[in-house]
Amino acid sequence: MAVRSEALAPSWREGRVTGWLTTVDHKRIGILYIVTSFFFFFAAGVMALLMRLQLAQAGNDIITRNDYNQLFTIHGTAMIFLFVVPILAGFGNYLVPLMIGARDMAFPRLNAMSYWLFLLGGLVILGSFLVDGGAASSGWTAYTPLSTEEFSPGTGQDLWILGLHLTSLSSLAGAINFLVTIHNMRTAGMTWMRIPLFVWAMEAFSVLLLLVLPTISAAVTLLLLDRQAGTSFFTGENGAVLWQHMFWFFGHPEVYIMVLPAMGILSEVIPVFSRKPIFGYKAVAFSTIGIAFASMLVWAHHMFTVGMPDALQAWFMITSFSVAVPTAIKIFNWLATLWRGHLWFRAPLLFCLGFIGLFTMGGLSGVMLAVFPVDYQTHDTYYVVAHFHYVLFGGSVFGIFAGIYFWFPKMTGRMYDERLGVAHFWLMFIGFNAAFLPQHMLGLMGMQRRIYTYDREGLFEWYNLVSSLGALLMGIAILVFIWNMTKSWRSGTRVGNDPWGADTLEWYATSPPAPHNFDRVPYVSSSRPLRDLRERLRERGA
Amino acid sequence: MGRTIVAIAAAAVALALAALPIVLALVSPGGLGGLAPPDQASPSGQAINELYWFVFGICAVVFVAVETALILFILRFRRRPTTPADAEGPQIHGNTRLEIIWTVVPSVILAVIAVVVLVRTPAVHATGGDRSDELVVRVEGHQFYWRYVYPDGQISLDTLVLPVDRPVKLELVSYDVNHSWWVHELTGKQDAIPGQVNELLLRPTVEGTYEGDCAEFCGVLHAVMPTTVEVVSREEYASRIEQLSGQDQAGDAQLALGRESWERTCAKCHGAAGEGDLGPPIARNGTLVDADALTALLNEGLDTPGVEGYMPPVGRGWPAFQVEALIEYVRSNEDLAPPEQDGGSG
Repeated sequence: MAVRSEALAPSWREGRVTGWLTTVDHKRIGILYIVTSFFFFFAAGVMALLMRLQLAQAGNDIITRNDYNQLFTIHGTAMIFLFVVPILAGFGNYLVPLMIGARDMAFPRLNAMSYWLFLLGGLVILGSFLVDGGAASSGWTAYTPLSTEEFSPGTGQDLWILGLHLTSLSSLAGAINFLVTIHNMRTAGMTWMRIPLFVWAMEAFSVLLLLVLPTISAAVTLLLLDRQAGTSFFTGENGAVLWQHMFWFFGHPEVYIMVLPAMGILSEVIPVFSRKPIFGYKAVAFSTIGIAFASMLVWAHHMFTVGMPDALQAWFMITSFSVAVPTAIKIFNWLATLWRGHLWFRAPLLFCLGFIGLFTMGGLSGVMLAVFPVDYQTHDTYYVVAHFHYVLFGGSVFGIFAGIYFWFPKMTGRMYDERLGVAHFWLMFIGFNAAFLPQHMLGLMGMQRRIYTYDREGLFEWYNLVSSLGALLMGIAILVFIWNMTKSWRSGTRVGNDPWGADTLEWYATSPPAPHNFDRVPYVSSSRPLRDLRERLRERGA
Repeated sequence: MGRTIVAIAAAAVALALAALPIVLALVSPGGLGGLAPPDQASPSGQAINELYWFVFGICAVVFVAVETALILFILRFRRRPTTPADAEGPQIHGNTRLEIIWTVVPSVILAVIAVVVLVRTPAVHATGGDRSDELVVRVEGHQFYWRYVYPDGQISLDTLVLPVDRPVKLELVSYDVNHSWWVHELTGKQDAIPGQVNELLLRPTVEGTYEGDCAEFCGVLHAVMPTTVEVVSREEYASRIEQLSGQDQAGDAQLALGRESWERTCAKCHGAAGEGDLGPPIARNGTLVDADALTALLNEGLDTPGVEGYMPPVGRGWPAFQVEALIEYVRSNEDLAPPEQDGGSG
């Protein structure tokens, strides 16, 4: 082996730093993705804390109105484009080849390029705070004509467009890479009905990215032309609504791009910690595809107040409902997987249970928002802010933390500190609900989104204060998490290949896996090859 | 074992904490602490509220059912200290009949919601009352104020006066960016979008003063772009409109429109006495009384290189008499009027 790896990589690439900078190994790229996007998560989280500081009391004057508008614009942009999507791509990079028994991704160099484009895009977006006039301040949705040259003259908006182009390019290349890998590099016996459900999720993730990213790339390109070349795609008649159609045709599937892989993580973790197979593998796999398909039909439910005909509003309400069905199927299948299991309450399972509880809330408030007459009142209020944080934080981010704790031993060869992990969960769970539950009420009481100040006192102000304190608690939870990770990565207890008694192939490799992943891959005869292997060993021993 | 107890206790604490706002909301007076949408002073607003409660009721039942199952399973199926480490649960791979049931049941529930919503949609857009008596008011969203134009051309800024019990059609337009007109105790919101006219129908049924906001992010002062709707008796409406300035009026009515234009438009960025705030100081600036220069500025805005921010085209769509009214007001105001201009009275 040593001779071959020497031929593959010259020795100067093996330095502690250069090894990481020049790597084309999917596992290292995966870790780079995860660590980098976590830094962006931290930055965007600090922005959220600053906003909650400003909103903690009526009439606060801590953050200026210009700064506030930049903060919420970059907070949203960074959380979506620089944290949730790339960290899931990081999991995909690390796990997909291992889970299907492959040596690496199909295109390792393209894979490295995806990561470096993502990093560059992230630096452009965050760096835009430093330019004259500051970062973009027209919201992550960049509605026209507000985001056009006339109303947003600064360089910040142009850098925002450039940053989106870079991250979109990164995601497109990544999506192609995932699809080619999943379709062509599955090991012997790994049929479509045997691939891990996380791989199904990455398949749907990649297909959705390929289908909708071109739309946002086109939209921001046209916006750039409007701003810099004097065209009027979005400034003329109907231009404002055209932007919203193009943006949300991408923007709504983007939600599922961020949720489906997190759901895939749940479908891996829950069976392991219940000591049961997933209930209804096919239903979970097909509901993944069902959600992906339906998610492309619902975009204009973000636009019920732009003056669409009732028939069109009714159509988009019904299509939105149609996403709720496969989503409900998943929730029920996870509950049925828990049923009669031997639930092992380690941090990964806690975060999965948190996901189920919180995502249910976000899903149901989503049904309420899809009812277009109700949306006339709740649209663009804190009710919507609460809703999508229950979906994307209570859902995706809890799923991401479940994944980090679950695969930490595989990636580092060491176990994390369980007590800190449990503390992280409870701080986060309580802080999250304190932060976002009152925002439903605030929305109904008339608090519109994206305001840097308000003058109402009494209950209105109290809810805002509770929300800010909850955000602070979440910040503390993240510090506990960082402490846990840094400490455990250096000095956690060493673990073997399979500390959880898990079912899928990545646990057959060493922890951390060798650069070439596997010496041999066992023949796969079910969706749980490792459990099959344990059974065979037990039979042989008996 | 201690761990399990700790976990259960922690779960109970967390649930109690999560439930606390709901309990608080239920016992606190008035709007159920925000859990209930506020009472509506129009039939369409009430129709929206009825739909809210209908869908909320169904979602609440589903929510309680799912969360109860989750908590029961967590308590009932937790791994006991006596459970061997390699013990497995029953290896159930699925149950087709069960899965069909939990696919069909949500579909049916959602179909029922959809049917009810579609049946009730006409009520959401209905005003009731005599439509031939309809009052049409043009609502312009501007950075960062609302401009109302009544049928005979009278103008008011930020404050809209409506007669009680008369059907109203608001025609929403914008000359700059997207805005959204939202008076949440009257009815739902509707966007004001450049290049199109959106309609919002309502019939206010209760006299009173209603506070509203811009709901669509529209720029730096989006948070402080309030509006007030005063619903008054028909007689009072007539006399209030009488006082507002339109095309042919001069004197006090003209000065009042000028003052309103200054306070609602210029002063929001340049300060009440033009001393400068978000925008630079403009008190005693000659442009304020130069009709041509002022009209150009109000229509085009200004992006001065090197100065942070920009001036939006705040007066796009103003008729000439509103610009004149503003100039007259500036001339009449000692703090604002530029010195020794021809015809200057300050």
